[in-house]
Amino acid sequence: MYDSVTNRRSFIKKMAMLSAITAAASMFPGIVFASEQEKGIPENANLDWKKGPCRFCGVGCGILVGTENGKAVAVKGDPNSSVNKGLLCVKGYHQIMCIQSKDRLKTALVKKNGKYVETPLSEALDLVASKMKESIAQNGKDSVAMYTSGQSTIPEGYIASKLMKGAIGTNNLDCNARLCMASAVTGFLTSFGADEPMGCYEDIDHADYFVTWGNNMAEMHPVLFSRMLEQKAKRGAKIIDFATRTTRSSTASDKSILFEPQTDLAVANAICYEIIQNGWVNKSFVEKHCSFSKGLTNIGYGLEDKFKFTDKPEKIDFEAYKVFLEDYSPEKVAKYSKVSVKDIKYLAAIYGDPNKKVVSYWCMGMNQHTRGTWINNLVYNIHLLTGKISQPGNGPFSLTGQPSACGTAREVGTFTHKLPHGVVMNEKDREMAAKIWKVPVDRIPSKPTYHATEMFRAVDRGDINFIWVQATNPLVSLPKTSRYRPAMEKKSCFVVVSDVFPTPTTDVADVILPAAWHIEKGGLYGNSERRTQYWQKMVDAPGEATADTWMFIEVARRMGFEDLFPYSKENHVEEIYNEYRQFHEGAKHGMAPLEVLKKESGAIWPYVNGKSTQWRYNAKYDPACSNDEDFHFYGKPDGRAVIWQRPFEDAPEKPDQEYPFWLNTGRVVEHWHTGSMTRRIPVLHQAMPNAYVEFHPDDAKSLGIRNGENIKVTSRRGSCTLPASINERGLPTKGQVFVPFFDENMLINDVTLDSFCPISKEPDYKKCAVKVERA
Amino acid sequence: MKKRLGIISFFVVIFIAFIVVWNYSYEQGLEEAYTPVIETPTGNFIPSESGAFRRFDDAGAGLDYLNMPVDENHQRTLDTYYDNRAYPGAPPSIPHPVAKERSFGGNTCIQCHQNGGFVAKFNAYAPVTPHPEMVNCRQCHVTKNTTSDFKENGFVKPEPPKVGEGANNALVGSPPMIPHQLQMRESCISCHGGPSAPKEIRVSHPDRINCRQCHLPKHSEQSTVDTNTFLRQFDKLNEK
Repeated sequence: MYDSVTNRRSFIKKMAMLSAITAAASMFPGIVFASEQEKGIPENANLDWKKGPCRFCGVGCGILVGTENGKAVAVKGDPNSSVNKGLLCVKGYHQIMCIQSKDRLKTALVKKNGKYVETPLSEALDLVASKMKESIAQNGKDSVAMYTSGQSTIPEGYIASKLMKGAIGTNNLDCNARLCMASAVTGFLTSFGADEPMGCYEDIDHADYFVTWGNNMAEMHPVLFSRMLEQKAKRGAKIIDFATRTTRSSTASDKSILFEPQTDLAVANAICYEIIQNGWVNKSFVEKHCSFSKGLTNIGYGLEDKFKFTDKPEKIDFEAYKVFLEDYSPEKVAKYSKVSVKDIKYLAAIYGDPNKKVVSYWCMGMNQHTRGTWINNLVYNIHLLTGKISQPGNGPFSLTGQPSACGTAREVGTFTHKLPHGVVMNEKDREMAAKIWKVPVDRIPSKPTYHATEMFRAVDRGDINFIWVQATNPLVSLPKTSRYRPAMEKKSCFVVVSDVFPTPTTDVADVILPAAWHIEKGGLYGNSERRTQYWQKMVDAPGEATADTWMFIEVARRMGFEDLFPYSKENHVEEIYNEYRQFHEGAKHGMAPLEVLKKESGAIWPYVNGKSTQWRYNAKYDPACSNDEDFHFYGKPDGRAVIWQRPFEDAPEKPDQEYPFWLNTGRVVEHWHTGSMTRRIPVLHQAMPNAYVEFHPDDAKSLGIRNGENIKVTSRRGSCTLPASINERGLPTKGQVFVPFFDENMLINDVTLDSFCPISKEPDYKKCAVKVERA
Repeated sequence: MKKRLGIISFFVVIFIAFIVVWNYSYEQGLEEAYTPVIETPTGNFIPSESGAFRRFDDAGAGLDYLNMPVDENHQRTLDTYYDNRAYPGAPPSIPHPVAKERSFGGNTCIQCHQNGGFVAKFNAYAPVTPHPEMVNCRQCHVTKNTTSDFKENGFVKPEPPKVGEGANNALVGSPPMIPHQLQMRESCISCHGGPSAPKEIRVSHPDRINCRQCHLPKHSEQSTVDTNTFLRQFDKLNEK
């Protein structure tokens, strides 16, 4: 900023100075004055660096954004962040480039006669509010829905929940974290009674072994993987890659073990079998801190509309569990898992060795699974039987894929059954929410409605007449988009989409709202290790682009809820966070005050007495432990973690004569989620311009497929044509093909199956049957 | 006789006690496995300072910057240096094809980029990485497989710092200041010395070693966390 108007007084001053300098310079040749010295020193070393969390994955690296003349021009890792200690990945370093994309949404667009018309934002928000009110008046509260995101900030999620559940009074709120984290949540709740990992990233500095379950961390969580590699080089820690596909992570690992899709369930049980057979059970830990349960079996796959399932847990004893495991001897499991007896025993020996510390890591491989809750439970079983949990370097760790899947989706609770504290089914939790929100308690309905997949099925059926999609791109990321795209296009549903860029989802919207990106608004994210991170607005958003929270508040006020949303435009992030914090007060989930988050690069909850709790349930670190023992699993009423008896059950759709290949989907290091941001970053797009279909060389050979040739991948639901990739980035096992899902021009989710885990309702993107042919 | 019996029984008692204690402690050991917590060294230091001497004292690498020839026919320029970066300070792209998509630094990239040297295939000297201990190279450095954009982008690359006489010195002839960030680029000599250094910024006196005795960054970067772990474990880099 500079002021071009110079008044007479300062002009004379400057003139006098200049003449003095000239005189001095003529008298003393070579003399240099301060102003000239400074001129010589380059300006661009002097960027203004502001701290925040990275916009992309759930690792939650600290970033420093360099701004110059009101524009973000550079990014570096925050050396003060204990998450990444100064390192980022290629997406992180280049993230700010996407907001300069020329097709950025800068004004609201309203569809009129099939054409998008630029509309003032306030007018568009009027329309959104009136359509919402109209739908409620005509078809009831449950005809309106909101679909948010694990990328929503904490204030965005909180206001969405308050608007839908507290103000309007419907549980029609779910989010895309249902597609990535729901099985982790139900896994934690069933085993421990409290969500989110007990450990933290510092486990990496202590562990002797890292076992990654279906998780290509070298590409998906590269900063954490680099921390593991450093420990490998420094202390000789070992990485064991257990997966269905050979990846960069496999190359960097000490051992790579491949298994047949879905049989991770059996192998996990086989590891427990071996641990018990060899007497590696930590008896005192299990006796003091664990109980045993079994649930229903043959629980279905959720393929039909309005699918319902409720598990019936039943207590069992150790003997019954031992008998159950007899079906899972390594010899029996090796037959169908394609994992050798030796490898199963090797894995069991790592977990069983009392002198070795082991961390298990997983992400979508275990969560996007028709038995996602079960496989989460089964890995906890291994850690519970051996007592390797809640200690530095020992523990199961469920990673997340989105920057605030934990902070917003899981902690604020933007799921149909959730409230910021607890669940809608619980009267006490409803009372608490009603009190803080200042609404009558009976306004919050006690029955959950639609989870993500079912929400879009309801749109298809015509049960939902208004949907607001925020910070996500479901028509690329939902399974079986071949059904849900036509559903969203139907006239029966009014579609509002808030986004930063045009996407295949904004293509079907009736109103497109221009959203401010990450650093163009303030907010808070919560990462995988329970770390809450705050950032302030760093640059202005272009045009009328506005923070999502503020657009929610504006619509709520237009619907007549002014008194419930009394926040100020300048300071709403702070006001909302302070209101939200009341929900989590106490030793079990206390959140750090904003003053702390402003100063530090995040803090881990439970934040008690000015301290982050790094290892929960361990009395040494966790002040919430109250049973005078070393460990206290206080999430469960009896203080015991549950070891679950969960069998192996087949996938709903397996390769057969007609559709002979497994289809697995996932990501690549260059792109994140549906690529709407990363593809707009030139460096990343140029490195990975399009999706592809990976083949095992033997399969390619027998089908006569050459590298780069266009291949049509077809399932019972749809098809997608992509170039073949043989033995390049990844190498699927024989009989399997792999496709990354970031490419909106090659929609692989038209092909995938919308089966889900009946307990978590999280779809399985990793397994369905396809055929391939040359296009 | 009595005395001998006494001595024998004394040793028997000691032996039995030994067995009992041994067994007891063994049982204890089974119950609560001893898992030592390895203390990582602590202490604050400014990470940007730690790398200054790197590549000089690296005995194994045998880099003799003093006697490195300047190959007039294969000089890198500062223009190509910056062309390869999205903004000054961004991780550079990989400007050449990469044979193995799944390989790791230790057995591929690092082979040429740890110590540099002439690569006939690319007719150029390999630039030396300032951080060879980080082996997941393609976490940050990616290849270029197309020249097109997905959507047009208006990002304006900031001007790189100027170089040459008078550009960065405070006084005429005084040692130039460091006009860039140092994070991830703590080892000065990697970019400023040897035949792969861009000719405009190649140092004339690599034998001086203590670069920051005379050249100071305009803005110091201070760290408050212990970066001993994770960042910069230079000596124990990639196992071969």
